[in-house]
Amino acid sequence: MTQKSWNLSRRELLKGGGVALALPFLNAMSWAKEVSPVKRPKRMLVSYFAYGSYMPNGANGLPQQKKSHHEWSWWPCQNPGPLKFNKSSAPFEPFKNEVTYLQGLDHAGGWAMGGHSSGDVFATGADMTGLEKTNNISIDQVAAKVHGHKTRHASLVLGTEGGTGSYGSSKTLSHRGPGRPIPSMHKPQEIFNRLFNPYAGKKIEDVRQGLKRDASILDLLLDHSKSMKKRLGLEDKKKLEEYLESIRSIEQRVERTSKWTHKPLPKIDTKGINLEVTHKDPKEYIRCMYDLVYLAFLTDSTRYASLMLESEQSSDSEMWNYATYVLGYKGSTHDIAHKRPVDFSGQWDRWRAEQHAYFLKRLKDTQEGDGHLLDHTLVLWGSAHPHASHSTKNYPIQIAGGSQLGLKHGKLHSFEGNKKVPLANLFVSMLNAVDVPVEKFADSTGSMSEILSG
Amino acid sequence: MVLRLLVLFSFIFLLTPMGGAFESDSNSQNFKNQIQPFFNSYCLHCHGPKKSKAKIKLHLLSESDFSKEQNLKTWEKLLEVLKSKEMPPEDERQPRQQDRADIAHWIENEFQSSLKGNSQKHSSEPTVRRLTNIEYENTIRDLLGFRLKLIENLPKDPQKPYRFNNTAEFMLMGPEQIDRYLENARRALASAIVDPDKPEVHRTRRDWKPHNLDRGLGLDEVGVWGNRRHSPHWGMGLKSFPKTGEFRIRIQASAILPPGITELPLRLVMGYSLNINSSTQRMEPVGTVQLRNTLDQPRVYEFRGRIENFPAKPGKIVNGRRQADTMVVTPQNLYDDGTLNDGQRPLEMPRAVIQWMEFEAPLVQNWPPEHHKRILFESSLRQENPEAYVQEVFRRFMSRAYRRPATENEVSKFFKIYQLISESELTFEEVMRETLAMVLISPQFLYHTVQDEQVSPHYEIASKLSYFLWASMPDEELMKLAEEQKLLDNKIIDQQVRRLLKDSRSNSFVKIFTSQWLSLTKLKTVPINKDLFPRFLYYVPRGERAGTEEPYRPTIRDYMFEETVGFISELIRENETVSNLVDSNFAYLNQPLAAHYGVQGIEGNQLRRVPLNPESNLGGLLTQGSILIGNGTGTAPHPIYRAVWLREAILGDEVPPPPAEVPALTDSAGESAEKALTIKDLLAKHREDESCNDCHARLDPWGIPFERYNAIGKYQPMVPKEGTRVRGFDKKTHQSLIGYQAYLQSLNTISIQADARLPNGPRVEGMRDLKNYLLKNRKEDIAKNVLKRFLGYGLGRELTVKDRFQVQTIFERSKAEDFKLKDMIIAICQSKIFTGVKSK
Repeated sequence: MTQKSWNLSRRELLKGGGVALALPFLNAMSWAKEVSPVKRPKRMLVSYFAYGSYMPNGANGLPQQKKSHHEWSWWPCQNPGPLKFNKSSAPFEPFKNEVTYLQGLDHAGGWAMGGHSSGDVFATGADMTGLEKTNNISIDQVAAKVHGHKTRHASLVLGTEGGTGSYGSSKTLSHRGPGRPIPSMHKPQEIFNRLFNPYAGKKIEDVRQGLKRDASILDLLLDHSKSMKKRLGLEDKKKLEEYLESIRSIEQRVERTSKWTHKPLPKIDTKGINLEVTHKDPKEYIRCMYDLVYLAFLTDSTRYASLMLESEQSSDSEMWNYATYVLGYKGSTHDIAHKRPVDFSGQWDRWRAEQHAYFLKRLKDTQEGDGHLLDHTLVLWGSAHPHASHSTKNYPIQIAGGSQLGLKHGKLHSFEGNKKVPLANLFVSMLNAVDVPVEKFADSTGSMSEILSG
Repeated sequence: MVLRLLVLFSFIFLLTPMGGAFESDSNSQNFKNQIQPFFNSYCLHCHGPKKSKAKIKLHLLSESDFSKEQNLKTWEKLLEVLKSKEMPPEDERQPRQQDRADIAHWIENEFQSSLKGNSQKHSSEPTVRRLTNIEYENTIRDLLGFRLKLIENLPKDPQKPYRFNNTAEFMLMGPEQIDRYLENARRALASAIVDPDKPEVHRTRRDWKPHNLDRGLGLDEVGVWGNRRHSPHWGMGLKSFPKTGEFRIRIQASAILPPGITELPLRLVMGYSLNINSSTQRMEPVGTVQLRNTLDQPRVYEFRGRIENFPAKPGKIVNGRRQADTMVVTPQNLYDDGTLNDGQRPLEMPRAVIQWMEFEAPLVQNWPPEHHKRILFESSLRQENPEAYVQEVFRRFMSRAYRRPATENEVSKFFKIYQLISESELTFEEVMRETLAMVLISPQFLYHTVQDEQVSPHYEIASKLSYFLWASMPDEELMKLAEEQKLLDNKIIDQQVRRLLKDSRSNSFVKIFTSQWLSLTKLKTVPINKDLFPRFLYYVPRGERAGTEEPYRPTIRDYMFEETVGFISELIRENETVSNLVDSNFAYLNQPLAAHYGVQGIEGNQLRRVPLNPESNLGGLLTQGSILIGNGTGTAPHPIYRAVWLREAILGDEVPPPPAEVPALTDSAGESAEKALTIKDLLAKHREDESCNDCHARLDPWGIPFERYNAIGKYQPMVPKEGTRVRGFDKKTHQSLIGYQAYLQSLNTISIQADARLPNGPRVEGMRDLKNYLLKNRKEDIAKNVLKRFLGYGLGRELTVKDRFQVQTIFERSKAEDFKLKDMIIAICQSKIFTGVKSK
């Protein structure tokens, strides 16, 4: 008898902490056949929180050796070595052997950008004040380029504010390349439909026929657009190339979708899912976004996802008020970063930790092969706006999961002083762990052996 | 005069073959003899090889820099700071006035000769840019003849404070975007082209009777609050309605008006039911009427709209079957005298009586509707030569969608697409919808129209005018003028600008322009400290969401936004001078705003021009709630935010963001007023640290004179003593808002200090002084800033140093007209930089 790969009962799911997506689920469990361990999907999520975290110790948020560790510091413990958890990081205690904290890492490309802008390069490491003014490819897209064709969606780009934002105030983590930010999706219903209901109830033959026609139409449209391009000046031609490339990439997607119509869609019943949850319910909303990533991974709809939990310029979004909704803090979430009120800063960090731990738990609670989903998933969680003062150094970085992808956990590592290496080194190791054979990413100088087992 | 001489001067040199050599020779002489020594003695110790504050390294500049674009900006900055005496800093050794002037003159001269040659060229900036989301929605509205809400389905356009986002840099395009455009295009055409048979008409009606009058509000009444279950306040549910089409709602209504009140604003909204204790219900306003008729004269009011624009609640699944989608039409009593939900006196407030309500959709009296016939026009050709008919449909539709005549080549491409789509089993209407949807995702539609060898510049000008002043496509009149090649005639442009500004479509321009220029959106998200300002916003009185802001009704913040937009609109339409931005003898208010600001005698929710008396502490932009709240913390004023706003939005300076690694100060934004740092302390802290002081010495003083305007934008000269505990509003203790205000008044014993010495300027004490200084000394700077904003927005690109002289030309003309705003816009539209006439 073959073992089902996603062996989880509906009850377990209902139990799974959250509310939003307690599911009557999953024919997914039955259509998927057990795959050999070698072929088991290797996944990666890059997630980002804004306005930094509470690091009360010293300048740059580094621990001061003389003082005892602050119970509300974002860093779980003072010294490198085995993890001990404090109040702020307590939600991760059950994941003691699945998380690693990395201290002293950052992207040199973001140094001169100021804290409110360095979020742009969190997943890219681009030198935006130097030679890469329009940013560059992000880690998830590097992976998607290599393995994206294996799943229905090459990648999943999520955020809480939606769209691309502007240079210096990005609302997405993912970029195809210079000048090509990928707009993040932020409406649960829409994300769900893209993942699990793309044909909107049409017959598969009709869908296929339609796609074929679409391809021919896109060809004609491309032709039509080129006739306009011919008549433009050089700079304008470049600008219009954005459009033409978009059409080409839709053509490729049509082709790809057409291929995928031959494989069954994972069936997920929407009953009981609150996909209409809005920004006014912080916990439900954030968890719903995490749930969608979880479902996409679970059903192998995609293997690479990015999730911007808040942008660094959220002042015209509801995210700005989350600290008020959640903690009753009488200022914006951004103000917490500046004033660092002890009673709110730590609690705000903890609230965010709870939501992230919820996601880790869902992965861990889901069996896969002889381990669980978290063992085959890398989860990066951090910020490029580390603490107060618009700093751009020493990011808070936590990496979780991937124990069966060669990662080893349970420690705080410090890369301070003469041990300093670029954050991009971690990215190289992450990419290698999900079978993307790169030797260099952005300004990397090697890989990061500290997080690897053996 | 000076300028003209300069022009003449460089002109002569350009003509003389010797000129070039001689000029550069004398320049390099000048540079060595005058400029470099000047730098050496006044500048280099801060902006040189050792220290380079603000990353300016003057020792690297040379006279040949004027040919390099990247250095032009440094030179321009240098010119500005020299002229304004911002540099050298006041506490440093100062150059002689004559030296200053000489250097400025030399730089000006260099600009002149280097820019003259290529002033038409803006090679680095593409002219091709896509429509912004608002322009896109407006364009489809004018193309199809009815409004559809399409923006929600598009990725948000990027925004940057104080910048316009209609530039090529911001208007990016990616595959995800085109997906959405296609979805929108299909939706739009599904609404625009109807099927030939008259559809079924859906009707719903509900009546209400005046029961239970002895127990508070009657069952046919809608009060501001204190509403009863099953009264019209609960709305009329709809279980049957079409997916597309125009609807009509009729209500018979009257008002119960207490003495002294003459009207009641009644708004209808449609969507989810609003009587569920949740802030996540979705709805859209249908329209607002002012009820002035009383019970003895009931009247029927009619509302219309497109059903597509209203959110239907998806039907539940019961026993495996999905029930019908539902919507609720809810009437709201928007009467607001500024006391908000203060107190328990629903019967003293005006109430609406609604006897019945009727819903009908779609409207089929004229079938097919006008908007259908506009595309699939009636013609015998359709029978006689279907192919020719289809091509003619494309030609007409594309020529409008592309804002210029479609070429034969373009029409034939779409005919091929049409043939492809015809292969599937679709009706004629379905095929046309799908084909025309493709027109709406082609770049000729999505990008602004530019001239090329096939398109005359007149079409580009028509589009430029309409997208500048309407944020939408040109109408028939503009297109006709383009066809007749008349749009390079200044008289015609003058007429057209006046006509466009008179049209209600120009509201869109004023709204986008004002909101981005003044960075207004912050206003809506600043968290207001409810303890200190208990009756500023509506809060839910009870239930699990007690204390959260009441959703679904316009708040005073919405009115403040409208106030500022309306104020600017008034200045433009009435051709007022630019000084009004700083101070004006009128405000733009409605009753809630008037109550907030303490202006007497304004009734009703409609905003209007209201004359001000000089003691009002109001007038101009600086004291408007939108600005003061948006640049405060919700608890306290924030002098730094306000200073940045004043310098960016009004004076046109670029204020650099706080650099990385500069430690943050505890700013005045505290959790409560008690903990707030006084401004003096704040300033002192800034002065302690050199890295702060460099910027803040030139920043903070601008914000101090605002200090007497509190975090909700009210004039408040007194504050509680430091350490005073301010109790929040409590109905039992204070009875009413007035009682609470009296309590607050009694605590406010310390008068606020609002005096500061402006950088390179006089000492000012409070807002009045600041305004006087701005009006007297900075009017031209402000006017130039406004002019550049209009121009940059109109061109859809950032202005560069290269535009310097063109801007100057328009500026001189506008100055002669006392910087009147409408005239300024006309001057811009007539300028060469705007019309883009290429000199051949």
